[in-house]
Amino acid sequence: MWTRAGTLLVVAVVAGFAGVVTAHAQRGGSRPQSQSYTGNVPYDGRFVFVRLSYPWFGRGGARWAHDYPRGEEHFLKIWSEISCAPSHTDASSIISLSDPELFKFPVAYMAEPGYWSMSDAEAKNLRDYLAKGGFLILDDFRNQEWGNFELMMTKALPDGRWVDLDIKSPIFHSFFEITSLDVVPQAYDAGRPMFRGWYQDNDPNKRLMVVAAYNTDMSEFWEWSDTGYAAIDVTNEAYKIGINLFMYGLTH
Amino acid sequence: MFESIFTFLFKYEPLVFEQGRFVLGASQQMWLVVAMAGAVGAYAIWTYRQLAAIGGRDRAFLLALRAPLLLLALFALLRPTLQLKVAVPQQNFVGILIDDSKSMQVADQDGKPRSDFVMSQLGRADAPLLTALGKRFQLRVFRFSSSAERLQSASDLTFEGTGTRLGDAFDRARDELSGLPVAGLVLIGDGSDNSEKTLDEPIAALKAQALPVFPVGVGKERMTRDVQVTRVETPRRALKGTSLVLDLVVTQTGYAGVKVPLIVEDEGRIVGTQDITLPGDGESETVKVRLKTMDAGARVFRFRVPVQASEEVAQNNQRDALIEVFNRREKILFLEGEPRPEPKFIRQATDEDDNLQLVLLQRTAQATVSVPDKFLRLGVDGPEELATGFPATREELFGYRAIILGSVEASAFTPEQQRMLEDFVDVRGGGLLMLGGARSFAEGGWAGTPLADALPVVLDRASRGPEYPPAELVVRPTRAGLSHPATQITDTEADAAAKWRDLPPVTSLNPVVQTKPGASVLLTGLDGKGREQVVFAFQRYGRGRALVLPVQDTWMWRMHSKMDVKDPTHHTFWQRLARWLVDGVPDRVMAAGAPDRVQKGEPVTLTAEVMDPEFKGVNDGRITARVTAPSGKVEDVPMEWTVEHEGEYYARFTPTEDGLHRVSVGGTTKDGTDTGRGAAVIRVAPSDAEYFDAAMRGSLLRRIADETEGRFYTPANADKLVDAITYSGKGVTVVEDRELWDMPIVLLGLLGLMGGEWVFRRKRGLA
Repeated sequence: MWTRAGTLLVVAVVAGFAGVVTAHAQRGGSRPQSQSYTGNVPYDGRFVFVRLSYPWFGRGGARWAHDYPRGEEHFLKIWSEISCAPSHTDASSIISLSDPELFKFPVAYMAEPGYWSMSDAEAKNLRDYLAKGGFLILDDFRNQEWGNFELMMTKALPDGRWVDLDIKSPIFHSFFEITSLDVVPQAYDAGRPMFRGWYQDNDPNKRLMVVAAYNTDMSEFWEWSDTGYAAIDVTNEAYKIGINLFMYGLTH
Repeated sequence: MFESIFTFLFKYEPLVFEQGRFVLGASQQMWLVVAMAGAVGAYAIWTYRQLAAIGGRDRAFLLALRAPLLLLALFALLRPTLQLKVAVPQQNFVGILIDDSKSMQVADQDGKPRSDFVMSQLGRADAPLLTALGKRFQLRVFRFSSSAERLQSASDLTFEGTGTRLGDAFDRARDELSGLPVAGLVLIGDGSDNSEKTLDEPIAALKAQALPVFPVGVGKERMTRDVQVTRVETPRRALKGTSLVLDLVVTQTGYAGVKVPLIVEDEGRIVGTQDITLPGDGESETVKVRLKTMDAGARVFRFRVPVQASEEVAQNNQRDALIEVFNRREKILFLEGEPRPEPKFIRQATDEDDNLQLVLLQRTAQATVSVPDKFLRLGVDGPEELATGFPATREELFGYRAIILGSVEASAFTPEQQRMLEDFVDVRGGGLLMLGGARSFAEGGWAGTPLADALPVVLDRASRGPEYPPAELVVRPTRAGLSHPATQITDTEADAAAKWRDLPPVTSLNPVVQTKPGASVLLTGLDGKGREQVVFAFQRYGRGRALVLPVQDTWMWRMHSKMDVKDPTHHTFWQRLARWLVDGVPDRVMAAGAPDRVQKGEPVTLTAEVMDPEFKGVNDGRITARVTAPSGKVEDVPMEWTVEHEGEYYARFTPTEDGLHRVSVGGTTKDGTDTGRGAAVIRVAPSDAEYFDAAMRGSLLRRIADETEGRFYTPANADKLVDAITYSGKGVTVVEDRELWDMPIVLLGLLGLMGGEWVFRRKRGLA
């Protein structure tokens, strides 16, 4: 759920980074470009929460920055407490698809892909990123936003096909044993939360490269988990799903 | 020439002086005469000293002429004599051993085969050497190649033998001639000997019986135009799809600097060609040959250089090697101590290889007081495998063929598990690779553990954790690394050097710099400050090998933005490294035949190592080798425990058919437990060994002659052979005196000295 408080927070964060975080329109009416945050965590082998940025010209804060930074801050605290992954817990990174640094971080997260746009060069980078072994987690989108998201993904992988992931998928057992997808919290007033995957060569026996958490918003629960926004058990499930997705991306 | 002059001056040929005993045969009266002559000599010297007309230097010169004159006369008067033991005609036997092998067909005697000399000198009843020997000795003729037999006539020789066993030939001749008066053995051949045994024992036996050997070396001691594939080192067994880097040694004379193709064939199908430049004359060159084992089964690979123009020996341009290519999945246990990307990318590489099974046990959460470690298991055979984490028993651990330890600290293992890890390498003979990371090497507390002994690098004992940021390393292969099978990232060495230069840097938290004496470093890394550290090293340890790769992100060679999405470097690197990690790792039952290539009728020694699941030797088991001939005939050969080594068994088997013989070894332990089975393949085929190192081995033949007190001859002076045997002093002999007082050299000496004195006196006005 997109709350007023959340919007304000993101606006503040984005304003604080004074244009280095957000997308910029290029002069002369050319296509907007996204940029990485200059204060990103340098690669040193440890896990870094990488949020993908994309060009944004709408009103309010950039869509890709929803739940930033509290979403990852809280997630990283739980992640580092529960798993033994050596991680940067006090900082995260915002990287654009045009940034070669992205290739040093094999798991990336994107919020609000329903508003995502990218250049052909970025589409190629994403294609290469996934083909080389990168893993993309998409979160926080619903209903008709799927259309734009699918359009973008098809730009990167024209022949890709989405597969609905059921509870048997290893991704739901990579750390926590998720026994039913009914426990996935609903952050919207949309339809049933769904997890869809994109497999290498469209073969479910091969590597899962992309997972889209559709009709839900896990990071929303992470972000407000230190408040009374949502019940603890529901928030717990959001953390469990999130940890499984990142653990899967890091290990598979 | 020298011998003729010598014989002219000294009356007898050098052989007589060598064999004879020098004595002075003067009678008592003669000694009296000698004493008188001495007195005369002394008087002469005294008179010289009294002559005031002669200066000091002239007197000394005259004395220098007169004294030898007198000594020479004295020598002649003392009746110098050589006493010789001469074989009594027709009372002694001589064994003639003739090389009947294929190498005698080599045409290096002015374009004629070596066998021509044999046939011309011994092949007819009136042949010169045979006749000369027959006049003085009773002759026994033997042929030898792989075996030795008595011949009625040298005309029965075929020169088709496919091996030469000199030692067996000597033993056979000794046996045949035992109890007879033997003056010596004549060995006619090129000195080739391709027996597995050394000649030390047969020569010692000859010496013990005082049997001199007189070899006649036939052929050139050095070929003038020949290319030879001298040796090729191949493993006996290899996994299907393995890229092998083999050492091939090529030797040549007459074609220095010539570029020739080296062709590799797999069962007759060309699978590779590379150009090689031939080394200098008489020199050997080791060539790295890359070969991929594409098809499973017992495969005969042929390595050949096409026959060059006017080569003397064409048959030694190729070598065959039998490689048993396995098509099975080799199981590697990968224990990773933390969730990180390195294992995932390694799995992506090895999963593409049908012959590798990487079982990943990746810790995702560390134990707390109440909860044990949490693991992710991938690639397991079933729900039971590794269900309780890292194996707690040797039997379970030793079921894997290799272990990869990721970033996992030593304290994650019990002391017994740490010993098991060391024994996995030392006793089980497995491959173990430790990867870099925050929890490995010294940073993971591995210094001082049993496994640290196995590692090829020295771990810093100072306790410290990982230091961030990690060192960023540009990786370069060492000279050995460029051609090592574990670090082959391209198909050619030249491409590999360029590829290594282009690869993005990797990072390391483990500053490993010191290697152990037995270690080989294949990759090194240079950080931004110019400091070098080990990136990849290995050493043999006990029956296995231990490897280290102290970097944390070789996946950069896949993911880095610099790497093209289709670049196979990372996958190639890990597939080849993983294959090398399991290469040569023994099964519980290992069978072998020695030699692995024999000729029909030659015995093969079958050996087997039989281990229990903990790789302790199974002794006193009921072990049988089941040999299946190409015709399908099956023979069970019981094997015996050698007693000398734990779990080692042996048996002898003699194949009666040409072709591949499959050996399956197995049985039961003392208490009836099945041991499992091991397999080997033996190739039975005519040998081509005769054509290798086909030059006449003069050094060996001279050694045989020297050690047995015989003499070495060549076809050029073989006519002297008869005298040599006659005077060898062996057999039934009589002593003959050869007087030396009348040697021309004595007369020439006397005349020369006298003439010199006369000329000198004339010049000085003293005559």
